[in-house]
Amino acid sequence: MSAVAVPTVDADIETALLEAFPGSSFVFQATVDQIPTYWISRSDSKEILAFLKNKYEMLFDLSAIDERMRTHREGQPASDFTVIYHLMSLTHGRDIRLKIALTETDLNVASIHQVYPNANWYEREVWDMFGITFTGHPNLFRILLPPTWEGHALRKDHPARATELPPFSMDDARQDAEQEALRFKPEQWGMKRKHGKTEFMFLNLGPNHPSVHGVFRIVLQLDGELIVDAVPEIGYHHRGAEKMAERQTWHSYIPYTDRIDYVGGVMNNLPYVMGVEKMAGITVPDRAKVIRIMMAELFRISSHLVFYGTFAQDVGQMSPVFYMFSDRERLFRIVEAITGGRMHPAWFRIGGVAQDLPNGWEAMIKDFIDWMPARLADYEKMSMQNSILKQRTQGIGTYNSKEALDWGVTGPNLRATGFDYDMRRDRPYGGYDQFDFEVPVFQNGDCYDRAQVRVAEIRESLRIIEQCLHNMPAGPYKADHPLTTPPPKERTMYDIETMIHHFLNVSWGPVIPAGECTMTIEATKGLNAYSLTSDGGTNSYRTRIRTPSFPHLQQIPLISSGLMIADLIAIIASIDFVMADVDR
Amino acid sequence: MEWSLSKADETIPLTDVDSAVDEHLKRNLVMTNLEDMLAWGRKHSIWPFNFGLSCCYVEMATALTSRYDASRFGAEVIRGTPRQADMIVISGTCFLKMAPVVQRLYEQLLEPKWVISMGSCANSGGMYDIYSVVQGVDKFLPVDVYVPGCPPRPDAFLQGLMMLQDQVGKERRPLSWTIGEHGVIKPEKTSQRDRLMESRMQATDLRKPDSV
Repeated sequence: MSAVAVPTVDADIETALLEAFPGSSFVFQATVDQIPTYWISRSDSKEILAFLKNKYEMLFDLSAIDERMRTHREGQPASDFTVIYHLMSLTHGRDIRLKIALTETDLNVASIHQVYPNANWYEREVWDMFGITFTGHPNLFRILLPPTWEGHALRKDHPARATELPPFSMDDARQDAEQEALRFKPEQWGMKRKHGKTEFMFLNLGPNHPSVHGVFRIVLQLDGELIVDAVPEIGYHHRGAEKMAERQTWHSYIPYTDRIDYVGGVMNNLPYVMGVEKMAGITVPDRAKVIRIMMAELFRISSHLVFYGTFAQDVGQMSPVFYMFSDRERLFRIVEAITGGRMHPAWFRIGGVAQDLPNGWEAMIKDFIDWMPARLADYEKMSMQNSILKQRTQGIGTYNSKEALDWGVTGPNLRATGFDYDMRRDRPYGGYDQFDFEVPVFQNGDCYDRAQVRVAEIRESLRIIEQCLHNMPAGPYKADHPLTTPPPKERTMYDIETMIHHFLNVSWGPVIPAGECTMTIEATKGLNAYSLTSDGGTNSYRTRIRTPSFPHLQQIPLISSGLMIADLIAIIASIDFVMADVDR
Repeated sequence: MEWSLSKADETIPLTDVDSAVDEHLKRNLVMTNLEDMLAWGRKHSIWPFNFGLSCCYVEMATALTSRYDASRFGAEVIRGTPRQADMIVISGTCFLKMAPVVQRLYEQLLEPKWVISMGSCANSGGMYDIYSVVQGVDKFLPVDVYVPGCPPRPDAFLQGLMMLQDQVGKERRPLSWTIGEHGVIKPEKTSQRDRLMESRMQATDLRKPDSV
């Protein structure tokens, strides 16, 4: 069984491509998500992408897939490993997906980091995970796994479990070797140790440092206290979430999504379950949609409160974080009453949500939306109007909209540059078209404006939650469809057929029809997408998670050079990332 | 301390001198030995190292803020350097790439030092039996208290902290180089499951999730 793949052709682009590259072959592929998808030839991939740069300003995602074990590839060219480029135009509201087929014996493709600068890290990741070489890449080293790692983890023949690998032990020799491998060597990055009379200092910030919000390491090339250049080092938080998806069932993977952006809670479930529902052809009832939006917006507030508090703390204010965390507790009381969990409720299900809202939820929500505005006004005075905070953040870490799009920056960090784009409004999903809210946009693109966008978004989220409160539809909280999880139980006691389906769907998990689907949402930190590939089984063949924080970290060197170390701390705070959202 | 209420115009009989001296001593003298006093001091001033790995760290940080307030237990002085801290909370997943760093930081803590393993990942790898994750931080660090949960609630972390305090209070670190035992004598670690099994089995009424 295959999911319903709808052929979607962007006629203008297709004609333009065929005209510009008459000798090249373009194979069209229909996908469930209706994003125009073309297989292009490797020989002129770089030229094609450069040509498309004018039409699609952002490289949204770049990943790969090991096709060697895949059975359902109807209509696709033969390929052992496929490199996938997902380009997006936010101004024109269109996407295109390009694929390049590679054979096992010849795994290389031209690097496009000169066309789309943010391709740099994505290409490193693909090299790390699949062993595909990008010719012309300036520093094709491992990015997620330790430099001493052998093999490429997302290949189908690489073991998934730690318990399949030799038991872990660490003696002094190994510790020294691992530490030595992590040592920063400026020459490797083409950095000079001195320039003229200036001798540079290399400062290692992280992977454990109070201001880096988790296990993030950034190596600074310093001239006195001025940052000349910086090299962010990630991978200290790589939990193999993409590989994990290949062995969990479609249903039992939901808890893993919670832990991607770990302050975003159920917001992470949303793109995943919506992607699966699209492939399975499930229509979600209205009540479930509104419940989902309400919970997602509660978590947006929770995430922004954590941001607000830590942002103020990182630039020197000690008390705000205590206020904001106490509000977050207030919010978690609601989350707990509704879902039973706090940070990771894993509460959305394929086809709806886990259970109906409990009696008395309205009063709790009402209390919260009555409580928050006055608090926000206090915080405005306490933090945002504070002259020291302003001095520390205004005009610091500035970038414009074009730079942001070049580097794949999305979400509040993009809206802080005056670029008015919010997927909830501009490409509504999951029922957001029914809601009335503003998209806060600020103009300066500095640390202060990035904070302002988030503060304003808390107010808008409160508006959305209030609309959910007053307009909660009646009806079921889960779709009546055999592929929902857990499957409908009511009829199982009356006929053997539904009993068998129920038994199989519970014990093995639902079989999602073969197909490919990318689902993108406006998550707390930017655009978050799950690209799911089903091979018609009970688990995903490949799950690609495009997270907003990954590109956000990549552009830190660009905006921090020439500034002081203290400014870098403000920049890091203003970007609002969590490492699980970077390394997955 | 003994005390009584009296009216203003009442003539107060003088208490006998002996009991007054006793009373004064009771108020101002504590008889103990040096070892116990040090253990008592350690117990109530465990300074944690500002260290976190992933999700659990957010809940650990929440335990320091107003509603939970770890300072009630003398453990709010978060230190940015391991050399000033007594305790490291392994709050989060221990990644292969991070393990040598964690080991180095642990070695930099000065004695006496304790380790709390917070959350399923640090306890055993938890739901991440995956190539990049060490299956429990006790593969390379000695753990004093395990706090279960994914992530544990801040109150669970505080419970873990109190259990550690209890252990620290009972722990003996002989001061003499010459007499008696030399090494650290740690109290026996008890499993909460065994201790609470009986009372947990008594529970018959569980709250239903359909009301708040």
